[in-house]
Amino acid sequence: MLIPRRVRYRKQHRPDRHGVAKGGTRVAFGEYGIQALEHAYVTNRQIESARIAMTRHIRRGGKVWITIYPDRPLTKKPAETRMGSGKGSPEWWVANVKPGRVMFELSGVAEPVAREALRRAMHKLPMKCKFVTREVGES
Amino acid sequence: MPEVRIAAEPRTDFGKGPARRERRAGRVPAVLYGHGTDTRHLTLPGHDVMMALKTANVLIRLDGLPGGNQLVLPKSVQRNPIRGSVEHVDLILVRSGEKVTVDIPIQVTGEVYSGGLLDQQMVQISIEAEATHIPTGIEVNVEDMQVGTSVHAGDLELPSGSSLAVEPDALVLHVIAAPTAEQMEAEIGAPETAAAQAEPAPVPEGEAPADSAAADE
Repeated sequence: MLIPRRVRYRKQHRPDRHGVAKGGTRVAFGEYGIQALEHAYVTNRQIESARIAMTRHIRRGGKVWITIYPDRPLTKKPAETRMGSGKGSPEWWVANVKPGRVMFELSGVAEPVAREALRRAMHKLPMKCKFVTREVGES
Repeated sequence: MPEVRIAAEPRTDFGKGPARRERRAGRVPAVLYGHGTDTRHLTLPGHDVMMALKTANVLIRLDGLPGGNQLVLPKSVQRNPIRGSVEHVDLILVRSGEKVTVDIPIQVTGEVYSGGLLDQQMVQISIEAEATHIPTGIEVNVEDMQVGTSVHAGDLELPSGSSLAVEPDALVLHVIAAPTAEQMEAEIGAPETAAAQAEPAPVPEGEAPADSAAADE
């Protein structure tokens, strides 16, 4: 599972959930990809689950790229705890995904296989997504 | 490649307000520069621009500009990250017969040897070509390529009149062995619980792991 090896601050503020992706909005490495259409915090477990779902479907052949990284910790206070007494303990590692961001890419398989593999992966993700293909030759 | 004619209008209002008004009216703000001339601000019809940009390195002839027609190439295109609509275009002036450096797509045909996996490192390649004769792409046939075979930039058959703008030993694609069933199983990984137990806690910079655990409680 993806997790940072070293962090400067163990507990951080919640990442901003406004705006659209500034980069990583096009399929860059593979031929097909999943593009986010909404804001979401994608946890490392969701990323791993999506990766496994698509790898299972494509079987042999095909290459998968994960183009997001869960580098932000989210904290949680224990259940039935009164407010105060400091910030909760780190509970999840998330990638702060904004609309337009391509999160997974795939190549080396036929388009129908890629569509199905990515559709299965989309079900593991916490936001609306769409299937995108590489557009070659654009500036 | 045939040129596309687009009617341009000079733009006098700048900033996000006027630019948004232009977009609402179905036009795209653009900027034109090159050959040491002053930068000119234009607007172009949105649909025509969108259709023209479907072709890589499309040669555009701008009509309706003071000083006559201009031959231009799109240098940079800004698009809406979700809808993909064109928001702004940078155009660069070119002259007929002038050499320009452009990225052209690499089109792969055929199927590699079964048991091999095609790893394409470059999907576009930079070439120098005459502005009015830019190739639409370079074809690479990978039919029955064996595992371990690679194609470098120098191996590509370039269209006449064009030359490489990258190092000839740059890797374009190679065929690697497809993972075996066991490797795939290993990649899919152990059950979730085992993975969770093995998950290491990240260590803050300049802090020992034991201290951080104690600070939590």
